[in-house]
Amino acid sequence: MEQSEIRITAEGKNFRNEIMATHGADKLMHCYQCGTCTSDCPVAKRVPEFRPRNIARLAIYGQKDRLLDGDLVWLCAGCYTCYERCPQKVHVSEIVSALRQLALREGKIHPTIKSIVTTIPRLGYISEIGEFENEMRGEDGLPPAPTPAIEEIKAIMRKTGILGRVGGD
Amino acid sequence: MKYAFFVGCTVLSRLPGYEKSARKVAEKLGVELVDMPGSSCCGTTYMETLDRKTALALAARNIAIAEEMGLDIVTVCNGCTENLTKTNKALKEDPALRAEVNEILAETGKQFKGTVNVKHYVRMLKEDVGLDRVKAASVKPFKGLRVGAHYGCHLLKPTDEMLYEDPNDPKVLDDLIRATGAESVDYPGKTECCAGPVMGIREKVTWDVGMGKVETVKKHADAMATCCPFCYITYERCQFMTETNPNLPVVHIPQLLGLAMGLTANEVGLSTNKVDASALLAKQEA
Repeated sequence: MEQSEIRITAEGKNFRNEIMATHGADKLMHCYQCGTCTSDCPVAKRVPEFRPRNIARLAIYGQKDRLLDGDLVWLCAGCYTCYERCPQKVHVSEIVSALRQLALREGKIHPTIKSIVTTIPRLGYISEIGEFENEMRGEDGLPPAPTPAIEEIKAIMRKTGILGRVGGD
Repeated sequence: MKYAFFVGCTVLSRLPGYEKSARKVAEKLGVELVDMPGSSCCGTTYMETLDRKTALALAARNIAIAEEMGLDIVTVCNGCTENLTKTNKALKEDPALRAEVNEILAETGKQFKGTVNVKHYVRMLKEDVGLDRVKAASVKPFKGLRVGAHYGCHLLKPTDEMLYEDPNDPKVLDDLIRATGAESVDYPGKTECCAGPVMGIREKVTWDVGMGKVETVKKHADAMATCCPFCYITYERCQFMTETNPNLPVVHIPQLLGLAMGLTANEVGLSTNKVDASALLAKQEA
């Protein structure tokens, strides 16, 4: 198969540095492309375009658009298999987290993830646990769910600025 | 034995069978689970990938509630266990990070002090209660029942954070299954992920991964037992997404334990399992 040439530009280098400055993603350049991550990835077995090795390679070359366009970085199941088995401790799962954070900065959050994040300050939970749910819990012999201190959760999320960043405030 | 009980959103809202059986089994074993007033979502496993400080602060707020209660935390969700464990470890080990998170928490009047521990329910049973006591309590053991354990990822991984069993050769669920008299079977792919977190991104991937495991377990066992709400939902729901529903019962591990301890099907909420699991009852000694 013919490989398209990729070159690193100054912009690409800058993007790579931003990835590596993120918590847990500093060992990106240790990747020697062995592919252990891809061969063990449960998502890669079903999704041809999701290749952790390729994600690491594109990150090394700072290929921002190829990484952040579409749903590529949101397809990671977060199972940590690549994290555990990488002989170089590159931790591709953490590279993916870094890419999600950079995607978020570009306003590119996946709608499903956005909906989860914005539900937390609204309900205190990721799903509705109101009067009806507590009635059902009662029928099952369960106590009412703890009433979450929603104002405290909102305060935390306002303070860290996450709500503004996902476009939910 | 007394713990702060962190149930987690998904179990609270969708899996009464898990919560009910976990509470009843604890009661049988003399373990007191105390609800945590004002507790909320742990932060989700997604949050950490988006914003670490938010994830730490949301988890630390829940930990601070347990600290005020003076109790260690027990959870029934792998995701909650991971978030709370990681946060607890990071903030105990890094005073600068703790100060930063406590500054965020100052908005809530709560502070993380680092005085409690976090454990998954199954780990608590094995380490604190002890397998011998679980086995001794199994007065109505299973006979000839083959069960396939599914551990899920975040009970064990990342290993440098969770500091528990080897994810390539985990033991706790197998040990608990055996304590009920059932046989815990090995099967190919036992330690693989359910792909549940991709459900909201590309649903079909999750159903395909789920069915792969269900079909494998079906060849080796009568039922599957899990300790994670998301894995449970994946393996249950994927079976209804195909035309050839394999009807493999999926049970929460405390349901299996509870039945062996002489609890009724109703007491362990067996009717809330969407794949009929009543065949298990026929495999118990009278």
